[in-house]
Amino acid sequence: MKKQKIEDIFSSMEDFSSVPPPELWGQIEEKLDKPKKKKRAILWWSAAACLLLGLLLPSVLHFSSDNSGIKTIQNNSIENNDVVLDQENKDTDKTRSIENKENILEKESNNNRVSSSEKTTNQSDQNQLNQNSKTVKAQTGSQNKTNNNSFEPKVNVERNNAVAEKSFVPARENGLNADSKSQISTNKKENINRAVAEKTFVSAGENGFNAASKNQLSTTKKENLNKAVAEKSFAPNKSDSFNYGSKSQSDIEKRNADKVLAEKKFAPAKTNNFNAVSGNQLPNSIFEDLSSSKNKNALALNASNSAAKRNPNALSPSLNKENIQKTTADKSIASVQNGNSKNNTAFSNSTVLSKKDSVQLAELQNLEKGIAAVTPEAEKKKKEDKTLSKSEKWALQLFAGVANSENYKNNKTLGNVNDSKQSNSYGVKTQYKINKKWAVASGFKINELGQSVANVSYLSTRNQALFSSSDYFVKNESVPQIASDTRYVLVSNTTKDVLQSDNIETGNLSQNLRYIEMPLEVSYSVFNKNRTNINLNTGGFVGKLISNSVAIDGNSMGENVNANDYVYGTTLSSTVQYRVYKKTNVFVEPAVNYYANPLSNQSFNQFQWGLNFGLNVNF
Amino acid sequence: MKNDRGGQLKIYQLFSPVLYGICLKYMKNEDDAKDVFQEAFVIVFQKISQYKFEGSFEGWLKRIFINKLIETLNKKKKESFFLDVFDPDTDFVEEEELDIIPIEQEKLLEYIRDLPDQYRTVFNLYVFEKMKHKEIAELLKISEGTSKSNLNRAKHILQKRILSIKKNFKIA
Repeated sequence: MKKQKIEDIFSSMEDFSSVPPPELWGQIEEKLDKPKKKKRAILWWSAAACLLLGLLLPSVLHFSSDNSGIKTIQNNSIENNDVVLDQENKDTDKTRSIENKENILEKESNNNRVSSSEKTTNQSDQNQLNQNSKTVKAQTGSQNKTNNNSFEPKVNVERNNAVAEKSFVPARENGLNADSKSQISTNKKENINRAVAEKTFVSAGENGFNAASKNQLSTTKKENLNKAVAEKSFAPNKSDSFNYGSKSQSDIEKRNADKVLAEKKFAPAKTNNFNAVSGNQLPNSIFEDLSSSKNKNALALNASNSAAKRNPNALSPSLNKENIQKTTADKSIASVQNGNSKNNTAFSNSTVLSKKDSVQLAELQNLEKGIAAVTPEAEKKKKEDKTLSKSEKWALQLFAGVANSENYKNNKTLGNVNDSKQSNSYGVKTQYKINKKWAVASGFKINELGQSVANVSYLSTRNQALFSSSDYFVKNESVPQIASDTRYVLVSNTTKDVLQSDNIETGNLSQNLRYIEMPLEVSYSVFNKNRTNINLNTGGFVGKLISNSVAIDGNSMGENVNANDYVYGTTLSSTVQYRVYKKTNVFVEPAVNYYANPLSNQSFNQFQWGLNFGLNVNF
Repeated sequence: MKNDRGGQLKIYQLFSPVLYGICLKYMKNEDDAKDVFQEAFVIVFQKISQYKFEGSFEGWLKRIFINKLIETLNKKKKESFFLDVFDPDTDFVEEEELDIIPIEQEKLLEYIRDLPDQYRTVFNLYVFEKMKHKEIAELLKISEGTSKSNLNRAKHILQKRILSIKKNFKIA
């Protein structure tokens, strides 16, 4: 007896193949459909959250800083500020809670949508019409819920609209809902709509499908219609509806027919009672047939595919007279189908269908070759795409954030220490990647640099009819003039004691300088793994003054006369970026800015801390 | 192709038997094989745009499946996976040449699946995927010695099983 090694014994297993259970394709399809939705949802939610955060923070801080400017009076200023901030926070909490509740409601309705669509795609259920009416009822329930939970009239209206839109989704998925779709879109009051929709489905009964399928041709998308009709056509014991279905099937695309057939194939539990009159049954699953005879695998599949492609109606030829007019090839396939059901053998399939299916077999077998042997042009295109994707060197950044000026040099104005002041900033930046690590960026940014000085003494000429500021400035040339408005005279701490006037008041001096800045930055990527990317950025900027204001206790004193029209400075920041979807990133960017020359003749906060939030899109 | 369900179905129909066969060879449990099969096919359809038309499409599919299978096996096996180190003294088993007797594929599959996970993986990669020990070592993040040891032990176990059958065969 000839001898062989272990490896040789097992070499026959090299090409071992086994037909997977038919239900696996259905599960793969389900999985393929699911994650896409999730990804999209994550993208939109994160984008929305980012925008909300970006807009909310500056606006909250803006209002809080305004309030502090108006309400603060002398020593009590800090306490008042706190109170105002608290109130603001409470307000935002309230709005957030409302938003959250809305989100929950939306989720509820989404859940309903999912469940209803799942129900409607269930082909195994023979009572499709009844089920549809159930799903509509379920939606109605959820919509009523949303109405009950509404908070404000305005919100209520919005919710209703949203729900109305959602109710279209299941309608699209199932052609049977086509009627209700048009009704919902035309009427404004939803409760009435729902009632109408329900009635339609309840009264429609079994024959209702025929009318619905006709209407679908004009109202729903062709593909959806075909799917629905095709599904229906396979349902046993529904001969009436089948005839209508077969009429419209003449428009069915090959792909749809394939799909339907495949779905049927992969569900062994479903009855394959294609021919109601003869009562003969096809084998439960084509795959079962295939497993009995491996060599006939592709051939048997082709048989079914070609049958579906050329004439789906052939599956029940005895029921439909129109089918007689079909081509002879179709007839032969149909007869084979019947023969198949009678004899229950795959072998007969392969012999009778040899002519037609040999072409199909060749097609399938050459699929791999077809993919591999794509024309050189296509290959070139692919390569170009690849190079383009690699050259995603440009990025656009949109950002908004908060900034806080700092006095690190212990500068004083009129003898009082300059305090920090919060402001907001927003802008747009373009980034160009030089290589993996380095990038340069530039753009436009609107930023505000401010400072507040507490306990500033001043004289107000509004109360002193006979007193003019020029009198004071003549005598005290050493005191710098800050504001352009001459009705107020700021007094330094040293002269305040000398004057000892009852007219001297003390207040909070607030100064704001708003610039439009053009930064030029260099970025270095210090960390880049998976979806996270951390960059260190440094550079300089030039800014042009676009707004300049000085206020004492909230009363405007005009402009700061010492402000420079153009400023320059340096910036240092770190960007923590997270990729949320393909080319879209969200980022947080703590930064510190240094302004070299905000004012020419007066001390001013030159450092500024900032925290920006933004969206970055690569292209 | 990414969203073309018809095209996906054709690919599935054409390649699923071979790929499912691979899953069965690598996984001890049929349910696990089904799970990996599904997950790998989902990956295939999601990443099909990344197929660069370099090499055969079937080869590309197989690589995805094998990577997924190894990833799953690694997750499953937290304990001493691939810890065996090659010991030339004990591990070098003289390979016996065996008489040819007809053995059904199902039986051979059963023997392979009965092997411990680590032996089975190395055996599959070496015998069926024609990978070298160096490549296996890189893929499984083990040393070349461990790969050789695992293969030897796998062969030894299989040899014993087949010999036992042959005894029965002769008796019968």
